[in-house]
Amino acid sequence: MTERRAFAPGAQRYLDGEPSGGGAAAPSPEERAAADRLAVLARAYAERLEPVSAAMDEAVMAAVRRRGAVPADRGAWRWFVRAHRVSVRPAWVAALAAAAALVVWLAPRRAAAPPRAEPAVAGASAPDTVFVRFELVAPAARSVAVAGSFNGWRTDALPMVRGAAGLWSVTVPLPIGEHRYEFVVDRTRWVPDPTAHAQVDDGFGGRNSVIIVGPKGLVRS
Amino acid sequence: MNRHGMRALALALLAAVPATLAAQEAGGSVEARLSARGLPADLVHEVQRVATDAAAHGVPAGPIADKAIEGWAKHVPAARIVAALRTFAGRMAEAGAAVRSGGLERAPGTVIAAAAEAMGGGLKPDEVSSVVRAAGTAEEAAPGLSVATSLTAQGLASRQAVTIVVDAMVHKRPMSQLLDLPSVARSMHDEGMSPGEIGDRLLPHHGDDGPGGEHHGDKDDRPPGMPPGPDHPSAPARP
Repeated sequence: MTERRAFAPGAQRYLDGEPSGGGAAAPSPEERAAADRLAVLARAYAERLEPVSAAMDEAVMAAVRRRGAVPADRGAWRWFVRAHRVSVRPAWVAALAAAAALVVWLAPRRAAAPPRAEPAVAGASAPDTVFVRFELVAPAARSVAVAGSFNGWRTDALPMVRGAAGLWSVTVPLPIGEHRYEFVVDRTRWVPDPTAHAQVDDGFGGRNSVIIVGPKGLVRS
Repeated sequence: MNRHGMRALALALLAAVPATLAAQEAGGSVEARLSARGLPADLVHEVQRVATDAAAHGVPAGPIADKAIEGWAKHVPAARIVAALRTFAGRMAEAGAAVRSGGLERAPGTVIAAAAEAMGGGLKPDEVSSVVRAAGTAEEAAPGLSVATSLTAQGLASRQAVTIVVDAMVHKRPMSQLLDLPSVARSMHDEGMSPGEIGDRLLPHHGDDGPGGEHHGDKDDRPPGMPPGPDHPSAPARP
Protein backbone atom coordinates (compact mmCIF):
# COMPACT_ATOMS: atom_id res chain seq x y z
CA MET A 1 0.00 0.00 0.00
CA THR A 2 2.78 2.34 0.96
CA GLU A 3 4.74 1.48 -2.19
CA ARG A 4 1.67 2.02 -4.41
CA ARG A 5 1.02 5.44 -2.97
CA ALA A 6 4.53 6.41 -3.93
CA PHE A 7 3.82 5.68 -7.59
CA ALA A 8 3.29 8.47 -10.02
CA PRO A 9 0.17 8.27 -12.18
CA GLY A 10 2.38 7.25 -15.12
CA ALA A 11 3.75 4.26 -13.24
CA GLN A 12 0.18 3.26 -12.28
CA ARG A 13 -0.85 3.32 -15.94
CA TYR A 14 2.29 1.36 -16.79
CA LEU A 15 1.32 -1.34 -14.28
CA ASP A 16 -2.22 -1.40 -15.63
CA GLY A 17 -0.82 -1.95 -19.12
CA GLU A 18 -2.08 1.34 -20.47
CA PRO A 19 0.01 3.22 -23.07
CA SER A 20 1.88 6.12 -21.47
CA GLY A 21 2.42 8.11 -24.68
CA GLY A 22 5.63 9.72 -23.35
CA GLY A 23 5.81 13.23 -21.96
CA ALA A 24 5.81 14.37 -18.35
CA ALA A 25 3.37 11.64 -17.27
CA ALA A 26 5.65 8.81 -18.51
CA PRO A 27 7.25 6.75 -15.71
CA SER A 28 10.92 7.15 -15.03
CA PRO A 29 13.29 4.18 -15.52
CA GLU A 30 13.43 3.70 -11.72
CA GLU A 31 9.69 3.59 -11.53
CA ARG A 32 9.49 1.10 -14.39
CA ALA A 33 12.07 -1.10 -12.64
CA ALA A 34 10.09 -0.99 -9.35
CA ALA A 35 6.86 -1.74 -11.19
CA ASP A 36 8.41 -4.67 -12.97
CA ARG A 37 9.73 -5.98 -9.68
CA LEU A 38 6.26 -5.76 -8.13
CA ALA A 39 4.68 -7.45 -11.10
CA VAL A 40 7.10 -10.38 -10.76
CA LEU A 41 6.31 -10.71 -7.06
CA ALA A 42 2.57 -10.58 -7.74
CA ARG A 43 2.77 -13.30 -10.34
CA ALA A 44 4.84 -15.51 -7.98
CA TYR A 45 2.22 -15.01 -5.23
CA ALA A 46 -0.63 -15.82 -7.55
CA GLU A 47 1.08 -19.02 -8.64
CA ARG A 48 1.32 -20.11 -5.03
CA LEU A 49 -2.42 -19.72 -4.43
CA GLU A 50 -4.47 -22.91 -4.64
CA PRO A 51 -7.27 -22.76 -7.15
CA VAL A 52 -10.79 -22.39 -5.61
CA SER A 53 -12.85 -25.53 -6.17
CA ALA A 54 -16.38 -25.52 -7.56
CA ALA A 55 -17.60 -27.12 -4.31
CA MET A 56 -16.41 -24.04 -2.46
CA ASP A 57 -18.53 -21.85 -4.66
CA GLU A 58 -21.58 -24.00 -4.00
CA ALA A 59 -20.98 -23.97 -0.23
CA VAL A 60 -20.67 -20.20 -0.13
CA MET A 61 -23.80 -19.66 -2.17
CA ALA A 62 -25.77 -22.11 -0.01
CA ALA A 63 -24.71 -20.24 3.13
CA VAL A 64 -25.75 -16.93 1.57
CA ARG A 65 -29.15 -18.34 0.65
CA ARG A 66 -29.67 -19.62 4.18
CA ARG A 67 -28.85 -16.29 5.81
CA GLY A 68 -30.81 -14.37 3.30
CA ALA A 69 -34.07 -16.27 3.81
CA VAL A 70 -36.84 -13.88 5.06
CA PRO A 71 -38.88 -15.18 8.03
CA ALA A 72 -42.64 -15.40 7.70
CA ASP A 73 -43.27 -12.51 10.09
CA ARG A 74 -40.69 -10.30 8.46
CA GLY A 75 -43.20 -9.35 5.78
CA ALA A 76 -45.74 -8.15 8.36
CA TRP A 77 -43.06 -6.32 10.28
CA ARG A 78 -41.86 -4.67 7.09
CA TRP A 79 -45.46 -3.53 6.45
CA PHE A 80 -45.70 -2.28 10.00
CA VAL A 81 -42.60 -0.11 9.89
CA ARG A 82 -43.11 1.15 6.36
CA ALA A 83 -44.86 4.50 5.83
CA HIS A 84 -48.43 4.28 4.57
CA ARG A 85 -50.90 6.79 3.36
CA VAL A 86 -53.95 6.87 5.69
CA SER A 87 -57.17 8.75 5.19
CA VAL A 88 -59.16 9.68 8.32
CA ARG A 89 -62.66 11.05 8.78
CA PRO A 90 -62.75 13.84 11.41
CA ALA A 91 -65.88 12.34 12.98
CA TRP A 92 -64.01 9.13 13.77
CA VAL A 93 -61.10 11.07 15.25
CA ALA A 94 -63.53 12.85 17.55
CA ALA A 95 -65.14 9.57 18.56
CA LEU A 96 -61.79 7.93 19.31
CA ALA A 97 -60.66 10.99 21.25
CA ALA A 98 -63.86 10.85 23.29
CA ALA A 99 -63.25 7.18 24.03
CA ALA A 100 -59.67 7.88 25.07
CA ALA A 101 -60.80 10.76 27.27
CA LEU A 102 -63.37 8.48 28.83
CA VAL A 103 -60.74 5.88 29.67
CA VAL A 104 -58.42 8.54 31.09
CA TRP A 105 -61.28 9.99 33.09
CA LEU A 106 -62.09 6.62 34.57
CA ALA A 107 -58.52 5.53 35.23
CA PRO A 108 -57.60 8.10 37.93
CA ARG A 109 -60.82 7.39 39.78
CA ARG A 110 -59.96 3.75 39.92
CA ALA A 111 -56.40 4.46 40.95
CA ALA A 112 -57.43 7.04 43.53
CA ALA A 113 -59.99 4.78 45.13
CA PRO A 114 -58.75 3.96 48.62
CA PRO A 115 -57.95 0.32 49.17
CA ARG A 116 -60.75 -1.31 51.07
CA ALA A 117 -59.21 -3.65 53.53
CA GLU A 118 -62.53 -4.09 55.27
CA PRO A 119 -66.00 -2.64 54.88
CA ALA A 120 -66.14 1.10 55.19
CA VAL A 121 -68.27 2.74 57.81
CA ALA A 122 -71.11 4.85 56.60
CA GLY A 123 -70.62 8.47 57.47
CA ALA A 124 -67.15 8.07 58.91
CA SER A 125 -65.53 10.72 56.79
CA ALA A 126 -63.12 11.76 59.52
CA PRO A 127 -60.73 9.45 61.31
CA ASP A 128 -62.33 10.39 64.65
CA THR A 129 -62.90 7.44 66.87
CA VAL A 130 -64.87 6.94 70.03
CA PHE A 131 -64.33 4.26 72.61
CA VAL A 132 -67.38 2.05 72.80
CA ARG A 133 -67.85 -0.55 75.51
CA PHE A 134 -69.72 -3.70 74.54
CA GLU A 135 -71.22 -5.85 77.27
CA LEU A 136 -73.16 -9.10 77.34
CA VAL A 137 -74.32 -11.10 80.32
CA ALA A 138 -73.72 -14.74 79.45
CA PRO A 139 -72.77 -16.76 82.56
CA ALA A 140 -72.81 -20.10 80.76
CA ALA A 141 -70.68 -19.01 77.82
CA ARG A 142 -67.14 -20.32 77.37
CA SER A 143 -66.18 -17.50 75.00
CA VAL A 144 -67.80 -14.35 73.68
CA ALA A 145 -66.56 -12.05 70.92
CA VAL A 146 -68.02 -9.10 69.08
CA ALA A 147 -68.07 -9.15 65.29
CA GLY A 148 -69.50 -6.57 62.96
CA SER A 149 -69.10 -4.22 60.07
CA PHE A 150 -66.18 -2.55 61.85
CA ASN A 151 -64.00 -5.68 61.82
CA GLY A 152 -65.16 -7.45 58.68
CA TRP A 153 -67.36 -9.77 60.74
CA ARG A 154 -64.30 -11.64 61.98
CA THR A 155 -65.29 -13.83 64.88
CA ASP A 156 -61.83 -13.92 66.41
CA ALA A 157 -60.76 -10.29 66.13
CA LEU A 158 -62.40 -8.83 69.24
CA PRO A 159 -62.68 -11.38 72.05
CA MET A 160 -64.48 -10.19 75.18
CA VAL A 161 -63.24 -10.66 78.72
CA ARG A 162 -65.30 -12.40 81.35
CA GLY A 163 -65.98 -10.39 84.50
CA ALA A 164 -68.03 -10.83 87.62
CA ALA A 165 -71.42 -12.54 87.37
CA GLY A 166 -70.77 -13.69 83.82
CA LEU A 167 -70.53 -10.18 82.38
CA TRP A 168 -68.43 -10.26 79.23
CA SER A 169 -67.06 -6.95 78.00
CA VAL A 170 -64.63 -5.27 75.64
CA THR A 171 -63.91 -1.63 74.86
CA VAL A 172 -63.27 -0.86 71.20
CA PRO A 173 -62.31 2.36 69.39
CA LEU A 174 -64.86 2.84 66.64
CA PRO A 175 -65.05 5.48 63.93
CA ILE A 176 -67.92 7.92 64.10
CA GLY A 177 -70.90 6.62 62.18
CA GLU A 178 -73.17 3.64 61.99
CA HIS A 179 -72.02 0.12 62.80
CA ARG A 180 -73.77 -3.25 62.71
CA TYR A 181 -72.67 -6.11 64.86
CA GLU A 182 -73.55 -9.19 66.86
CA PHE A 183 -72.01 -11.16 69.67
CA VAL A 184 -70.54 -14.56 68.88
CA VAL A 185 -71.02 -16.92 71.79
CA ASP A 186 -68.87 -20.05 71.95
CA ARG A 187 -67.65 -19.35 68.42
CA THR A 188 -70.87 -20.60 66.87
CA ARG A 189 -73.93 -18.78 68.18
CA TRP A 190 -74.69 -15.27 66.89
CA VAL A 191 -76.56 -13.20 69.45
CA PRO A 192 -77.88 -9.63 68.94
CA ASP A 193 -77.10 -7.04 71.60
CA PRO A 194 -80.25 -6.49 73.68
CA THR A 195 -79.05 -3.01 74.65
CA ALA A 196 -78.29 -1.79 71.12
CA HIS A 197 -79.87 1.29 69.63
CA ALA A 198 -81.82 -0.88 67.24
CA GLN A 199 -82.07 -4.33 65.73
CA VAL A 200 -82.43 -4.68 61.98
CA ASP A 201 -82.91 -7.55 59.58
CA ASP A 202 -79.54 -8.89 58.42
CA GLY A 203 -80.94 -10.32 55.20
CA PHE A 204 -80.10 -13.90 56.17
CA GLY A 205 -83.00 -14.49 58.55
CA GLY A 206 -81.26 -13.04 61.61
CA ARG A 207 -81.02 -9.67 63.28
CA ASN A 208 -78.09 -7.26 63.42
CA SER A 209 -77.62 -4.83 66.27
CA VAL A 210 -77.05 -1.22 65.27
CA ILE A 211 -74.99 1.39 67.04
CA ILE A 212 -74.55 4.94 65.83
CA VAL A 213 -71.42 6.45 67.28
CA GLY A 214 -71.47 10.21 67.69
CA PRO A 215 -68.47 12.45 68.30
CA LYS A 216 -69.40 13.25 71.89
CA GLY A 217 -68.40 9.87 73.17
CA LEU A 218 -71.43 9.53 75.40
CA VAL A 219 -74.45 7.48 74.62
CA ARG A 220 -75.81 7.10 78.12
CA SER A 221 -74.20 7.11 81.50
CA MET B 1 -73.11 -4.87 7.28
CA ASN B 2 -73.21 -1.48 5.57
CA ARG B 3 -71.33 1.63 6.63
CA HIS B 4 -74.16 2.98 8.81
CA GLY B 5 -74.44 -0.32 10.58
CA MET B 6 -70.72 -0.32 11.28
CA ARG B 7 -70.91 3.20 12.68
CA ALA B 8 -73.82 2.32 14.94
CA LEU B 9 -71.98 -0.75 16.20
CA ALA B 10 -68.82 1.24 16.89
CA LEU B 11 -70.72 3.93 18.78
CA ALA B 12 -72.56 1.30 20.80
CA LEU B 13 -69.22 -0.26 21.73
CA LEU B 14 -67.88 3.14 22.77
CA ALA B 15 -70.94 3.75 24.92
CA ALA B 16 -70.48 0.39 26.59
CA VAL B 17 -66.89 1.15 27.67
CA PRO B 18 -67.67 2.75 31.07
CA ALA B 19 -70.10 0.07 32.15
CA THR B 20 -67.72 -2.65 31.05
CA LEU B 21 -64.81 -1.10 32.91
CA ALA B 22 -66.91 -0.67 36.04
CA ALA B 23 -68.12 -4.23 35.85
CA GLN B 24 -64.58 -5.56 35.38
CA GLU B 25 -63.34 -3.48 38.27
CA ALA B 26 -66.20 -4.68 40.45
CA GLY B 27 -65.56 -8.29 39.58
CA GLY B 28 -61.84 -8.06 40.23
CA SER B 29 -62.02 -6.32 43.58
CA VAL B 30 -64.83 -8.55 44.82
CA GLU B 31 -62.95 -11.70 43.88
CA ALA B 32 -59.82 -10.51 45.64
CA ARG B 33 -61.63 -9.61 48.84
CA LEU B 34 -63.71 -12.76 49.03
CA SER B 35 -60.81 -15.04 48.22
CA ALA B 36 -58.75 -13.35 50.93
CA ARG B 37 -61.48 -14.22 53.41
CA GLY B 38 -61.46 -17.88 52.40
CA LEU B 39 -64.79 -18.13 50.62
CA PRO B 40 -64.95 -21.17 48.32
CA ALA B 41 -64.28 -20.56 44.64
CA ASP B 42 -67.79 -21.42 43.45
CA LEU B 43 -69.37 -19.00 45.93
CA VAL B 44 -66.85 -16.33 44.98
CA HIS B 45 -67.83 -16.86 41.36
CA GLU B 46 -71.54 -16.49 42.16
CA VAL B 47 -71.02 -13.36 44.24
CA GLN B 48 -68.80 -11.93 41.55
CA ARG B 49 -71.57 -12.46 39.03
CA VAL B 50 -74.10 -10.66 41.22
CA ALA B 51 -71.64 -7.81 41.80
CA THR B 52 -70.79 -7.52 38.12
CA ASP B 53 -74.46 -7.43 37.14
CA ALA B 54 -75.10 -4.83 39.83
CA ALA B 55 -72.11 -2.71 38.80
CA ALA B 56 -73.33 -2.67 35.22
CA HIS B 57 -76.46 -0.96 36.55
CA GLY B 58 -74.51 1.55 38.61
CA VAL B 59 -74.79 -0.30 41.89
CA PRO B 60 -71.57 -0.35 43.96
CA ALA B 61 -69.98 -3.75 44.38
CA GLY B 62 -68.38 -3.08 47.77
CA PRO B 63 -71.53 -3.43 49.91
CA ILE B 64 -72.37 -6.66 48.08
CA ALA B 65 -68.97 -8.07 48.94
CA ASP B 66 -69.45 -6.90 52.55
CA LYS B 67 -72.77 -8.69 52.73
CA ALA B 68 -71.30 -11.87 51.30
CA ILE B 69 -68.53 -11.81 53.90
CA GLU B 70 -71.10 -11.27 56.64
CA GLY B 71 -73.14 -14.25 55.48
CA TRP B 72 -70.07 -16.45 55.18
CA ALA B 73 -68.91 -15.46 58.68
CA LYS B 74 -72.34 -16.39 60.03
CA HIS B 75 -72.16 -19.81 58.35
CA VAL B 76 -75.15 -19.07 56.14
CA PRO B 77 -75.46 -21.67 53.33
CA ALA B 78 -74.06 -20.49 50.01
CA ALA B 79 -77.39 -20.63 48.20
CA ARG B 80 -79.02 -18.40 50.79
CA ILE B 81 -76.12 -15.97 50.65
CA VAL B 82 -76.50 -15.62 46.89
CA ALA B 83 -80.28 -15.21 47.18
CA ALA B 84 -79.86 -12.54 49.87
CA LEU B 85 -77.29 -10.75 47.75
CA ARG B 86 -79.63 -10.62 44.77
CA THR B 87 -82.32 -9.11 46.97
CA PHE B 88 -79.82 -6.66 48.42
CA ALA B 89 -78.54 -5.69 44.96
CA GLY B 90 -82.08 -5.07 43.76
CA ARG B 91 -82.77 -2.91 46.77
CA MET B 92 -79.56 -0.97 46.16
CA ALA B 93 -80.65 -0.30 42.59
CA GLU B 94 -83.89 1.19 43.92
CA ALA B 95 -81.94 3.04 46.58
CA GLY B 96 -79.62 4.47 43.95
CA ALA B 97 -82.61 5.84 42.08
CA ALA B 98 -83.99 7.38 45.27
CA VAL B 99 -80.62 8.95 46.05
CA ARG B 100 -80.38 10.40 42.55
CA SER B 101 -83.90 11.68 42.91
CA GLY B 102 -82.70 13.47 46.03
CA GLY B 103 -80.11 15.33 44.00
CA LEU B 104 -76.96 13.23 44.38
CA GLU B 105 -76.15 12.08 40.88
CA ARG B 106 -72.90 10.36 41.72
CA ALA B 107 -73.33 9.08 45.22
CA PRO B 108 -70.59 6.90 46.70
CA GLY B 109 -71.27 3.33 47.71
CA THR B 110 -71.65 4.24 51.36
CA VAL B 111 -74.61 6.47 50.62
CA ILE B 112 -76.32 3.95 48.36
CA ALA B 113 -75.71 1.19 50.90
CA ALA B 114 -77.13 3.38 53.67
CA ALA B 115 -80.14 4.16 51.49
CA ALA B 116 -80.63 0.47 50.76
CA GLU B 117 -80.46 -0.34 54.47
CA ALA B 118 -82.91 2.48 55.13
CA MET B 119 -85.37 1.09 52.60
CA GLY B 120 -84.87 -2.36 54.06
CA GLY B 121 -85.67 -0.82 57.44
CA GLY B 122 -88.94 0.60 56.26
CA LEU B 123 -88.19 3.98 54.69
CA LYS B 124 -89.97 4.68 51.44
CA PRO B 125 -88.04 5.88 48.37
CA ASP B 126 -89.44 9.40 48.64
CA GLU B 127 -88.39 9.52 52.30
CA VAL B 128 -84.87 8.51 51.33
CA SER B 129 -84.90 11.25 48.71
CA SER B 130 -86.04 13.78 51.33
CA VAL B 131 -83.12 12.97 53.62
CA VAL B 132 -80.62 13.11 50.76
CA ARG B 133 -82.04 16.41 49.53
CA ALA B 134 -81.84 17.94 53.01
CA ALA B 135 -78.29 16.67 53.47
CA GLY B 136 -77.05 18.10 50.20
CA THR B 137 -73.75 16.25 50.35
CA ALA B 138 -72.80 12.60 50.41
CA GLU B 139 -70.88 13.13 53.67
CA GLU B 140 -74.06 14.13 55.46
CA ALA B 141 -76.51 11.95 53.56
CA ALA B 142 -75.11 8.63 54.78
CA PRO B 143 -75.25 9.41 58.52
CA GLY B 144 -78.63 11.09 58.05
CA LEU B 145 -80.03 7.96 56.46
CA SER B 146 -78.47 5.79 59.17
CA VAL B 147 -80.01 7.87 61.92
CA ALA B 148 -83.44 7.79 60.27
CA THR B 149 -83.10 4.01 59.89
CA SER B 150 -82.10 3.60 63.51
CA LEU B 151 -84.98 5.73 64.77
CA THR B 152 -87.39 3.74 62.62
CA ALA B 153 -85.93 0.51 63.99
CA GLN B 154 -86.59 1.84 67.49
CA GLY B 155 -90.26 2.02 66.71
CA LEU B 156 -90.78 5.53 65.39
CA ALA B 157 -92.87 5.88 62.24
CA SER B 158 -90.61 6.30 59.22
CA ARG B 159 -92.25 9.60 58.30
CA GLN B 160 -91.67 10.86 61.84
CA ALA B 161 -88.04 9.72 61.85
CA VAL B 162 -87.39 11.37 58.50
CA THR B 163 -88.99 14.62 59.63
CA ILE B 164 -86.74 14.70 62.70
CA VAL B 165 -83.61 14.09 60.65
CA VAL B 166 -84.54 16.50 57.87
CA ASP B 167 -85.28 19.22 60.41
CA ALA B 168 -81.90 18.74 62.06
CA MET B 169 -80.19 19.05 58.70
CA VAL B 170 -82.21 21.98 57.42
CA HIS B 171 -81.48 23.88 60.62
CA LYS B 172 -77.78 23.05 60.26
CA ARG B 173 -77.56 21.36 63.61
CA PRO B 174 -74.07 19.94 64.32
CA MET B 175 -73.41 16.40 63.16
CA SER B 176 -72.83 15.43 66.78
CA GLN B 177 -76.48 16.25 67.55
CA LEU B 178 -77.70 14.29 64.57
CA LEU B 179 -75.65 11.24 65.45
CA ASP B 180 -76.76 11.39 69.06
CA LEU B 181 -80.46 11.15 68.19
CA PRO B 182 -80.59 7.33 68.37
CA SER B 183 -78.94 7.43 71.80
CA VAL B 184 -81.39 10.03 72.98
CA ALA B 185 -84.29 7.98 71.69
CA ARG B 186 -82.86 4.93 73.42
CA SER B 187 -82.56 6.87 76.68
CA MET B 188 -86.17 7.95 76.40
CA HIS B 189 -87.17 4.37 75.72
CA ASP B 190 -85.31 3.27 78.84
CA GLU B 191 -87.22 5.89 80.79
CA GLY B 192 -90.42 4.18 79.75
CA MET B 193 -91.54 6.38 76.90
CA SER B 194 -93.38 4.84 73.97
CA PRO B 195 -92.08 5.32 70.39
CA GLY B 196 -94.91 7.75 69.73
CA GLU B 197 -93.95 9.85 72.73
CA ILE B 198 -90.29 9.74 71.76
CA GLY B 199 -91.18 10.91 68.27
CA ASP B 200 -93.26 13.74 69.68
CA ARG B 201 -90.41 14.83 71.91
CA LEU B 202 -87.89 14.75 69.07
CA LEU B 203 -90.17 16.23 66.44
CA PRO B 204 -89.50 19.85 65.59
CA HIS B 205 -92.13 22.37 66.62
CA HIS B 206 -91.64 25.43 64.56
CA GLY B 207 -91.68 28.64 66.51
CA ASP B 208 -90.57 26.94 69.72
CA ASP B 209 -87.12 27.08 71.13
CA GLY B 210 -86.82 23.40 70.37
CA PRO B 211 -88.78 20.19 70.05
CA GLY B 212 -91.24 19.68 72.87
CA GLY B 213 -89.85 22.69 74.64
CA GLU B 214 -87.01 20.54 75.87
CA HIS B 215 -84.36 21.72 73.47
CA HIS B 216 -82.00 24.13 75.06
CA GLY B 217 -80.60 25.66 71.94
CA ASP B 218 -77.00 25.53 70.89
CA LYS B 219 -75.78 26.76 74.24
CA ASP B 220 -75.19 23.30 75.65
CA ASP B 221 -74.93 21.62 72.25
CA ARG B 222 -77.52 19.00 73.05
CA PRO B 223 -79.61 17.11 70.53
CA PRO B 224 -83.27 18.01 70.28
CA GLY B 225 -85.25 16.56 73.16
CA MET B 226 -82.24 15.50 75.18
CA PRO B 227 -82.93 16.17 78.85
CA PRO B 228 -80.54 18.50 80.66
CA GLY B 229 -77.91 17.09 82.96
CA PRO B 230 -74.24 16.34 83.17
CA ASP B 231 -72.66 14.14 80.58
CA HIS B 232 -69.32 12.45 80.49
CA PRO B 233 -67.62 12.91 77.18
CA SER B 234 -64.60 10.93 78.24
CA ALA B 235 -66.58 7.90 79.32
CA PRO B 236 -66.77 5.03 76.87
CA ALA B 237 -69.98 4.96 74.96
CA ARG B 238 -72.29 2.04 75.44
CA PRO B 239 -74.51 0.77 72.71
